[in-house]
Amino acid sequence: MAEKPRLKLPKEAKKGAVIEIKTLIPHAMQTGLVKDKDGKAIPRKIINKFTAEFNGKPVFSANIEPAVAANPYLQFTAKVEESGTFKFSWTDDDGTVTTAEEQITVS
Amino acid sequence: MFRSAMLFTAAVVAAAGVFVRLGGSVAHAQTKAPLEWGEDAAVRPWKRYQGWPVRGESKFSTLAKLVSPPPAKEPRKLGAPLAGNAENGAMLVADRNRGGSCLACHVVGPAGGADLPGNVGPDLSEIGSASREDEYLFNYIFDARVYNPETVMPPWGAHGTFNDQEIADMVAFLQTLKTPAVFKTELDDPEKRPAPVERRENLDPIENPGMWAIDKAQDLFTQKMASGSSCSSCHADAQAAFKTWAAGMPKWEPRLNKVLGVEEFVTRHARTTTGADWPMETDNNRVMSVYLHFLANGTPIAIDTSSTEAKAAIERGKELASRKIGELNFACTDCHGKSADHWIRGQWLGPPKGQYDHFPTWRTSLQAIWDIRQRFQWCQVNIRADELPPDAKEYGDLEIYLASQSDGQKLSVPGIRH
Repeated sequence: MAEKPRLKLPKEAKKGAVIEIKTLIPHAMQTGLVKDKDGKAIPRKIINKFTAEFNGKPVFSANIEPAVAANPYLQFTAKVEESGTFKFSWTDDDGTVTTAEEQITVS
Repeated sequence: MFRSAMLFTAAVVAAAGVFVRLGGSVAHAQTKAPLEWGEDAAVRPWKRYQGWPVRGESKFSTLAKLVSPPPAKEPRKLGAPLAGNAENGAMLVADRNRGGSCLACHVVGPAGGADLPGNVGPDLSEIGSASREDEYLFNYIFDARVYNPETVMPPWGAHGTFNDQEIADMVAFLQTLKTPAVFKTELDDPEKRPAPVERRENLDPIENPGMWAIDKAQDLFTQKMASGSSCSSCHADAQAAFKTWAAGMPKWEPRLNKVLGVEEFVTRHARTTTGADWPMETDNNRVMSVYLHFLANGTPIAIDTSSTEAKAAIERGKELASRKIGELNFACTDCHGKSADHWIRGQWLGPPKGQYDHFPTWRTSLQAIWDIRQRFQWCQVNIRADELPPDAKEYGDLEIYLASQSDGQKLSVPGIRH
């Protein structure tokens, strides 16, 4: 079972407010430099890209490199002008894309 | 009438060594929860966890047997003056691979760079000016019990951790110590180092990966197992059913003649009801234990001590907590009693109260969930005693004693610890 991503952001905000968004996805983030007990390198497998959109428009994105620790945790802010949906995506080296959504009501 | 007849039959069958299943999901809320007792709740023979130190310590006492050599009655007389090598002694007192290093408990002047020493024992930085005879220092390291039967200091020589020459080397080093230790930072000084405060929100899944167990457990809870039923077949509303349950655990279980904690209960109850195979110290068992404790979060720990058997178990647990075991000859109470609120190297020793309400807990240093039984096992391996299987009755006694010490504290599971 793939572990589900964790999100933390307010459910409601005032128009024009800057909100804090915390995201975390459980992932081993194998760097490709670690060796197993037989001395063979464990192949690289990391989350290499993260994106956040609000109502279809990009808000934040990051290219993630092998030095980032397991369970990458990203915290950023966004200014909200209208109610809508944040959509987050994490791209694995193997091509898998995990997504998660959260709604916010702006008044 | 029906219940006693059923128990009687089951006892006979169990005695014959046949796998027992007690059915009856409807009535068991009023009677006793079905438990399987024909098998062990953990793997046998017990195998130490991968990555844990491999050493057989069978010549020293464990919580199940008393075999350590008895303490010497008299200090040893040294025929000739000690010819120790102070340089080698300086290395030995700071060597973590041998004794776990003297610095774990003592400030030892410049030894080990005065890097994060502990303060369980006295500061030895000026011991060389204290006019102690070599023979006295030798015996204190060899087996301090000849001077102080209540000491928490391991009998380094009597238990064979260091040989006579090595102890002589350490004595020679100690005699060179004449000036107060110089610490690089205030944090290195155990008298000034502030007690750690846990500020993380242990119930926030972003801060505590232990919380991820809840989702997994909720899936397991509704999953149909070998018998075609799931936990939710009987416990439709888990939140209501287990709102306080875990806060009353562990408890004396007359059918097994021992104390059952949540983890062993889960193994035995699941086996007999859903057919799920969730032995203790496997992932599914840990996850279910986290969930069942989590559902009772906020409930004060309240152990049922009404029966004479429960009282006797607590008494036995209390005795076990003060039993000296392992090569290092420590009792639980040596660290979490006599030496509580002190530093052992960079780690803070807490009193017994507060060591239970957050288990199972997430361990950030290991990226793993540990239940209380695994914590017991690690304490033992760490002091160089052989651990017992997690379902050992001695651990049941110890757990009910520990829980009774934390009576009234509110559960907050999963915890998060180093």
